[in-house]
Amino acid sequence: MGKPQYHTDIVKSFVNWSLVWGVVAVLVGVIVSFQMINPDLNYPPYFTFGRLRPIHTNAGIYGWGVGTIFAMFIYMVQRLCKTPLWSLGLARFQLWLFNATIIAAAVTLLLGYNTTLEYHEMEWPIDLMIVVLWVVFSINIIMTIIKRKEEQMYISLWYMMAALIGVAILFTVNALAVPVSAFKSYSIFAGTNSANVQWWFGHNAVAMALTAPPLAMFYYFLPKSTGVPIYSHRLSIIAFWSLIFMYLWTGAHHLLWTPIPDWIQTLAMAFSIMLIAPSWGSVINGYMSMKGQWHQMRDNYLVKFLILGITFYGLQTLQGPMQAIRTFSAFIHYTDWVPGHIHMGTMGWVSLVSVAGIYFLLPRIYGREVYSIPLANLHFWLVVIGQLIWSTSMWISGILQAGMWNAMNADGSLTYTFTETMVEMYPYWWIRAIGGVIYLIGILVFIYNVYMTVQKGKEPAPKLLEVEGRA
Amino acid sequence: MDLASIMYLAVTFGLFVIFALIVGNTYKRKNKQKKEAPKYRMMDDD
Repeated sequence: MGKPQYHTDIVKSFVNWSLVWGVVAVLVGVIVSFQMINPDLNYPPYFTFGRLRPIHTNAGIYGWGVGTIFAMFIYMVQRLCKTPLWSLGLARFQLWLFNATIIAAAVTLLLGYNTTLEYHEMEWPIDLMIVVLWVVFSINIIMTIIKRKEEQMYISLWYMMAALIGVAILFTVNALAVPVSAFKSYSIFAGTNSANVQWWFGHNAVAMALTAPPLAMFYYFLPKSTGVPIYSHRLSIIAFWSLIFMYLWTGAHHLLWTPIPDWIQTLAMAFSIMLIAPSWGSVINGYMSMKGQWHQMRDNYLVKFLILGITFYGLQTLQGPMQAIRTFSAFIHYTDWVPGHIHMGTMGWVSLVSVAGIYFLLPRIYGREVYSIPLANLHFWLVVIGQLIWSTSMWISGILQAGMWNAMNADGSLTYTFTETMVEMYPYWWIRAIGGVIYLIGILVFIYNVYMTVQKGKEPAPKLLEVEGRA
Repeated sequence: MDLASIMYLAVTFGLFVIFALIVGNTYKRKNKQKKEAPKYRMMDDD
């Protein structure tokens, strides 16, 4: 039986567009970081921190993150199921709708239309576009899985299905609203219920969009890059199911010390701690898969991206549960510590694994070797150093901020005014902005390397296609 | 304890039982080869 004819052009398109939105996300991120240092860089009404910040987060999550998910899922599902994509036409429609949605989101956010729900700022017409987009994507992937030629499903397929179902439920429930005009709606939830549903969505969007899909990619690209299977498929299955059972209970840890019922807060705290087990199940599986292969960290740039990525995932999933403990949360919540945490996940874990996936795909979708491995290594070091500077500066400033907020005089009055605490943040905001610039330069090196690969990359030797990435 | 609390506990316990069954089935000795097979199959040339 001949090999199935897989669709690669659509993968190329999603890769290219996710790169475009990724650059936009990082560039706007750098701009808003300088706006915090110098308020004169705010140009009202459109180019202010309040309007640009949601563009940064949405371009990052939905443009870069979800765009990469579309590309990788379509690439992986065909190979893991040994069958072509169920509908190429549906995928092409999805590509157009994806870009139209991102553009509509960016324009309306700039104009000030905002639901005020974090990571769900888009108003109801764009919510409808997102729902159609996700349903179309889900149908295509699930139908491909149903048609598969492989009896047993590899772990990446399980994570993919969880992401499809999880995002659909979370987004739809949190989007339930009553429209009052073309660009204004009110959530059907009110008061503490509204807060609880919002953070059930907010935290689990991290689970289903920024954890499950990168894990699907990690489990696929690590063995493909090293040429050695993962350590234990059974461990990956247990880690998967325990993650699925535990994650959805944890959202309320964003609401510790708020008026939501105490038992919900305690439940979220307990499940957040338990979540260390499934997260580290995948981390350990990744490390054990490298047994006898650690030398590849030196001579295979793909492995560097993937192993550093899973390491940041491991650190992220230790730091996150610690933050979910009431006493620790009381100290660091609302401080700069929190963006330090989330950016280790997005710039470290999610982006490193996604980038490894794109480097792996280039020879396979363009039929050309990666233009420059030294440039790929330069890209690696720039983004890792940029991210570490970014996150570390925020952890230090977060602790300083918390310490100053909590400092009290003998008579019980506050030692520092809020303005005094803000002034102390400036050096750290400068360091953060410099970290962001270094990261942006790394991304531009990556884009140049991709562009030159497409334009001038050599045709790959057949052997290289089997185990890509060796320097 | 009201009916809602009992239902809540029942659902939680039910989920735990399902998870325990998945662990038991995955790590059953006779299933080892079958459950590990996908990791070798995915290495096939694309």
